[in-house]
Amino acid sequence: MWKDKYKVGVPLIDEQHQELFRRVEEFIVALRSDNPWEEKLDKVRETLDFMKVYVVEHFRAEEEYQAQVQYPGLRDHSKIHSDFAGEVVEFEQQFAQLGYEEELVQKFAGKLLAWLINHVATQDQAIGHWARQGGGAL
Amino acid sequence: MRAEYVNPFYQATLQVFKLMLDLDVVRTDNPQQTESTVEVLISITGDLRGSVLYQFPQSMTLEMVRIMSGLEIDSPDSFVTSALAEVANIISGNAVSGLLQHNYNCDISTPEVFVDNSADLKTRGQVLSLPLATPIGNPTIKIALEETPS
Repeated sequence: MWKDKYKVGVPLIDEQHQELFRRVEEFIVALRSDNPWEEKLDKVRETLDFMKVYVVEHFRAEEEYQAQVQYPGLRDHSKIHSDFAGEVVEFEQQFAQLGYEEELVQKFAGKLLAWLINHVATQDQAIGHWARQGGGAL
Repeated sequence: MRAEYVNPFYQATLQVFKLMLDLDVVRTDNPQQTESTVEVLISITGDLRGSVLYQFPQSMTLEMVRIMSGLEIDSPDSFVTSALAEVANIISGNAVSGLLQHNYNCDISTPEVFVDNSADLKTRGQVLSLPLATPIGNPTIKIALEETPS
């Protein structure tokens, strides 16, 4: 799933993005396999538990970096992060209410795939661009 | 319908297809719509009101998800339609940012997906059809927008 053109040019952010893509890919490959749902469920739960913690950590690290380089789009970018985190919480609430129902998890995965690619290929690129233009103190 | 309503959707589609899918999009006069479509309907509210409908040939939706995920998928199931709805959501979000540059402040609704049957644009006004061509299939965007009476 990862493509080198997704690199932002900031090593910490790029490493975290690659880890995110690796986990999302593992999750999607497990989810799309022909195995019975009960067998896929362990991998699905494991990845979702990891993502919950890692995504929050990554968003925090990325926003910290933006503050460090005085990135002018920090406020908008934080809102994009918190809106997405809010949507993840909504899915979680549905998982809690309905159980890990396959249809719902497939829906979550499709959204996650497209959201992550757009966010990294588009919105995050602006951070690297700003830093390379000599933005902020770095 | 005014060009300044339509251009932001066209520009946003070009940009999103390029950045997310590495695909070039051009306008075409020949929409060649013979296969079933997957459609995503998004409502617009605010200074402009109405809706935008994205119609994708089914085979194209599978190819879009293959480009993003690397996985071969044989039918537009909820994984595919959800990814597609998000792509339409991203295009519409970017288009709304474009509309803001023309001083139209608008919001978009949650996307609604239709597989195998066509969505209703629910308008008595003008609908502008924007047939597009890409290397993996030809989508059409239908735009029905009017200024909200103040």
